Amino acid sequence: MTASASSLQAAEVSEYISSEPLDIAGLLSKSHHPLAGAVVLFSGDVRDNNLGKQVDYLEYEAKESMAAKMIHEILEEAKERWKLNIAVAQHRTGKVSVGECAVVVITATPHRREAYEANRYIIDRIKHEVPIWKCEYFTDGTKKWGGNCNCHDITGDPNKHLYESDAPRPPKGGV
Amino acid sequence: MKIEVYAILKDYFDKQFVVKEQIEDVNTLKEYLSKQKPDAKDILRSCRFAVDDEFVSDTYQLKENDSISIIPPSSGG
Repeated sequence: MTASASSLQAAEVSEYISSEPLDIAGLLSKSHHPLAGAVVLFSGDVRDNNLGKQVDYLEYEAKESMAAKMIHEILEEAKERWKLNIAVAQHRTGKVSVGECAVVVITATPHRREAYEANRYIIDRIKHEVPIWKCEYFTDGTKKWGGNCNCHDITGDPNKHLYESDAPRPPKGGV
Repeated sequence: MKIEVYAILKDYFDKQFVVKEQIEDVNTLKEYLSKQKPDAKDILRSCRFAVDDEFVSDTYQLKENDSISIIPPSSGG
């Protein structure tokens, strides 16, 4: 909830949300830090199958201003919590083909444990909380809106999520 | 009030539309929209609502000039 987070400029939005293919190598090359002995890069790629069907491609939609702001806040929080030297995350919008990267998260810390933990925390929260949606287009001509976050079925609350990683979440403020 | 919907909700509603009726809070708006599109009822139940890029609770009191975003469960990654 910092002042800078409440007013992201267009240039800053593009730091987190991109309609162009993600430049993983470029982002990685900028993620080295003299204090960091560990750099973890997660690339969320498009699989060629889901629900037993052949996937042709995915189309991602984002509520961009809000998504960028939330990714920014998640990164800031993770940086603070795991004392990250570097934290980067970028998500695609638009059409993403099989084998292409839809989301990248990079974390750099002095030692690998924190880099892995923080990376997983960041991707979990992006998948569950940030207003980005995928629509799967199958080779049989059908489509289906995703998909990952059906937590409310279990928790009964759209604001309560279940995460893969064990890192405890910060208390929900404001809402 | 102006409403904008995303993702799967676009299969049920126009991307943007205006509600002229006086609606008290988010809960009432959910019910109002569910009556208009009964097929979208379950999805609306799972949605979060945002005003000015901030999530608001079900009891948030709506104002006439609010721009409301209806946010289905996320499915990024």
